[in-house]
Amino acid sequence: MGFTERLVRWARGRSPWILFFNTGACNACDIEVVAALTPRYDLERFGLLLKGSPRHADILVVTGPVTRQVRDRLIRIYNQMPEPKFVVAAGTCATSGGVFWKCYNVYESLDSVIPVDAYISGCPVKPEAVVQAVNLLAQKIMKG
Amino acid sequence: MNEEEIINALKERFGDKIIDCKTPMRRRVFVEVSKECYKDVVKFLLQDLDMKFVEAITGTDVNDHLEVIAHIGYGISVSVKTKVPKDDPVIDSICDIARGAELYEREAHDLLGIVFKGNPNLKRFILPEDWPEGVYPLRKDYEAKHPKPLR
Amino acid sequence: MSFYIPIGPQHPVHPEPLLMKFKVEGEQVIDVEINVSYTHRGIEKGLEYRDYMKGIFLAERICGICNAAHTLCYVQNIEQLLNKEVPPRAKYLRLIVEELSRIHSHLLWLGLAAHQIGFETLFMYVWRDRERVLDLLEMITGNRVVTSYNTIGGVRRDITPEMEQKIRKGLDYLEKRTKYFKKVVMEEPTVLVRTQNVGILKPREAIELFAVGPVLRASSIKHDVRADDPYAAHDEVPFNVITYDTCDVYARILVRIDEVLECINMIRYSLDHLPSGKYRIRLPVVIKPPPGESVSRVEAPRGDLLHYVKSDGSDKPYRYKVRTPTLANIPSTARMLTSRGDYIVYIADIPIIFGSVDPCLCCTGRVMFVDVEKGKSWVWTYNELVKYSRERFERHD
Repeated sequence: MGFTERLVRWARGRSPWILFFNTGACNACDIEVVAALTPRYDLERFGLLLKGSPRHADILVVTGPVTRQVRDRLIRIYNQMPEPKFVVAAGTCATSGGVFWKCYNVYESLDSVIPVDAYISGCPVKPEAVVQAVNLLAQKIMKG
Repeated sequence: MNEEEIINALKERFGDKIIDCKTPMRRRVFVEVSKECYKDVVKFLLQDLDMKFVEAITGTDVNDHLEVIAHIGYGISVSVKTKVPKDDPVIDSICDIARGAELYEREAHDLLGIVFKGNPNLKRFILPEDWPEGVYPLRKDYEAKHPKPLR
Repeated sequence: MSFYIPIGPQHPVHPEPLLMKFKVEGEQVIDVEINVSYTHRGIEKGLEYRDYMKGIFLAERICGICNAAHTLCYVQNIEQLLNKEVPPRAKYLRLIVEELSRIHSHLLWLGLAAHQIGFETLFMYVWRDRERVLDLLEMITGNRVVTSYNTIGGVRRDITPEMEQKIRKGLDYLEKRTKYFKKVVMEEPTVLVRTQNVGILKPREAIELFAVGPVLRASSIKHDVRADDPYAAHDEVPFNVITYDTCDVYARILVRIDEVLECINMIRYSLDHLPSGKYRIRLPVVIKPPPGESVSRVEAPRGDLLHYVKSDGSDKPYRYKVRTPTLANIPSTARMLTSRGDYIVYIADIPIIFGSVDPCLCCTGRVMFVDVEKGKSWVWTYNELVKYSRERFERHD
């Protein structure tokens, strides 16, 4: 593992830029993820930035069970992100469908649509769990 | 006005076209009328009795017919119910007297297949673009299942 | 020809997918079409497969922010079918949690509205103070946002005298901060310029298009479900229905801030007059209400919420219908966003007008513009729209 490779990996892990996407959730997970950016929990001290375009982002944070209408848009966003990319499924709905059993417009879980690297459970997720998940993922990126 | 006065006013105006009328709890009136005078009853409640507000339009699938219920009123809630046959689910739209009810009728059409005659814009509202035509999810013969996973 | 580039919805502005198609002529918006099918999950059908107790948890997740209102409406419906009254202490406790969640929702909205104007400092201040409300909710119910406090027959937990002291201290702090935010909103020139005479909805139109909630009350119509059709303990706890008559975005902000102050007074009154006794009545494990129908209404933070249930005597509902307040406000929103006659809507005003309605199914995955004059069309993300609207105002100042 050469020096430049280690440097690049370290830089990637120290400043992950995230893109946030809601695929039909009930909004509770979204406001908790956003609350993780407010002064009490403050994700930005880890070098995190919330970006607007998939072309600038390393990590895609997805909440909510995937509805049929939103599926194509989600796949297109995933394809537009440059490699290496990581996907975090935030919330029980994204992990395994959550409480929406037998609801006809909803896929069973996020990893039946795109590959997922990390799961955060909770209904809704607690901001502390989001902070820990982002930290663990950043360390994993730094190590390779 | 209280519940008794509303029921008396309806009976006085429409006589025996009212099939059933009851007040099971405080501030709730349930009225069942025939298909033909559904729009007149709604117009009477909105304009003559000055209730001014259509809260929602519900559709239900009872075994051999479909029911349409209009919930009306700010304080006391009057639910006007009518029945349409399943093989010819056409009923008059109330959009010309209640402009804000257009979206409720579109939703009932999408989910149950009830056709509101006179609604200017009865296209797909709430189901996704790739949903097959003619399949109505809230009917009792539709079995809810998740879409097939992609990977 | 027009095509979509789905750039994901992002940043704190309620990133829920929703599509709005605007027809523009130069800088003015002349028509709008709204598509809400992205968040349709099939909950009404899902409730028919679950018995009544399990249905509470699904009904709660219709909207995570108004979850107290949805559970309250649901359990009231079932209790009306069963013809049972809950004990008085349960009614007061339900009111306390409902009003706390209303304070939470309005403060959250205030922060997001400030963000849409470009006022990031106010956004951060308000969300920091909102954490106090979430601490109180966590102390009473066990969870911050999705609380599951109401159940069929009463509430799940009781409050102790120590909790009452903490609630009162928290309310004093919130009252002081809300009065400060009100002063900021009324005196800050940026806010006044962006919100006065913008997004007008006249009273006659509000009644015709069946608007609900603060949108209706900011157009000087005095209607509130807590006053017209009281539930829980609202017939015993006094309060004022807040209305303003300028019918614009500024009035909607003031209506919500004043409602927060009213909620604080209502919670204080309830704590002073809290009856003692049981907080839950015991019901059979499997609930089978007699055949019948019931309608239940609750004033959610965004407006009038209606639930209708039809039971056929079994342990699962035959039909359950939910009509959320944001659906009722869509025609009014479309009316507010169209220019006609002297009333002109600029593209830069779109975020704040749409935000002032407090949509619970959120602001835009993509916004698509079709320029009628030049015959071209382009797609922006919500964030680009917000940035554009802020830049326009900086140039004009």
